[in-house]
Amino acid sequence: MSVEPLDAAAAQDHLEMMNRILAESQPRLCNGGEYFVVWGIGSAYITVLAALVHGGLLPSAAAWSLPIVIAACAAFSIVRGRQTRGVLQRSSLVQREFFNVLWLTLGMAFVVDLAGFNIFTGLASAAIWSVAEAIVLLYIGMHGNRRAQIAGVLVIVSLVVANFASPGIAGYVLGAGMLVGYGGFGASELLARE
Amino acid sequence: MDELLLSKVRLGVVAELLNFDWIAFSELARSLDVSNGNLGAHLSKLVDAGYVEEEKSFANRRPLSRYRLTKRGREAFASHVTELQSLLKAAQ
Repeated sequence: MSVEPLDAAAAQDHLEMMNRILAESQPRLCNGGEYFVVWGIGSAYITVLAALVHGGLLPSAAAWSLPIVIAACAAFSIVRGRQTRGVLQRSSLVQREFFNVLWLTLGMAFVVDLAGFNIFTGLASAAIWSVAEAIVLLYIGMHGNRRAQIAGVLVIVSLVVANFASPGIAGYVLGAGMLVGYGGFGASELLARE
Repeated sequence: MDELLLSKVRLGVVAELLNFDWIAFSELARSLDVSNGNLGAHLSKLVDAGYVEEEKSFANRRPLSRYRLTKRGREAFASHVTELQSLLKAAQ
């Protein structure tokens, strides 16, 4: 192979180019604020609706909208995921690791909700979703996203406040944490991207 | 010093692939601002040397070539960078 040997200036040039490429290719963990908005609103709706039904402010028939909301959120995630799969031609190792954490955390919360409802009844199951959302947000925050750190703390604060608040308002506090923390983080990501 | 990585384009390709799992050919060409023919020739050398893995498939009925760094490529890159830094240090 006929290649010119490198002198110090060329070596410097190569290292600078390499550093620039590495700096520019620092991957962002969250590339889909819309998922956070949809699931933030969805989980807040479910929690608040459950609290309203439980408090007798809405008839129990209103609970029938819950599976519809969950199905709509899931359908959005699947359709949006298929749309972006064709566009996203690169996925970083960190992003892949993050998606593993995300699906494991939310998947476990889903399994507990679906198959562990006898152990975790009522608002405890909503609180599990808050914990799952806080883990996802704080994981993003650990990789340098300040908004995710703040949003994760907000969700945790909502959990703690709900724990010590009167049972009548605990559901609303959890719902507010989901909406402002999870959904709000997604909205801020979408706005920051624009 | 690794002669294969003395080329600025090939070093750039390896640096681009370092943080990512897979990158499509078009993405690499756009990021490095090189022509398709030029990039293709450099990628072939990296694939032949076992530094880069190539995957050819179809996306929406269009051919899609993706690339990722192998363990061998990662190790070669690390030792090449160390040697570049040593060269600079010696010159100073």
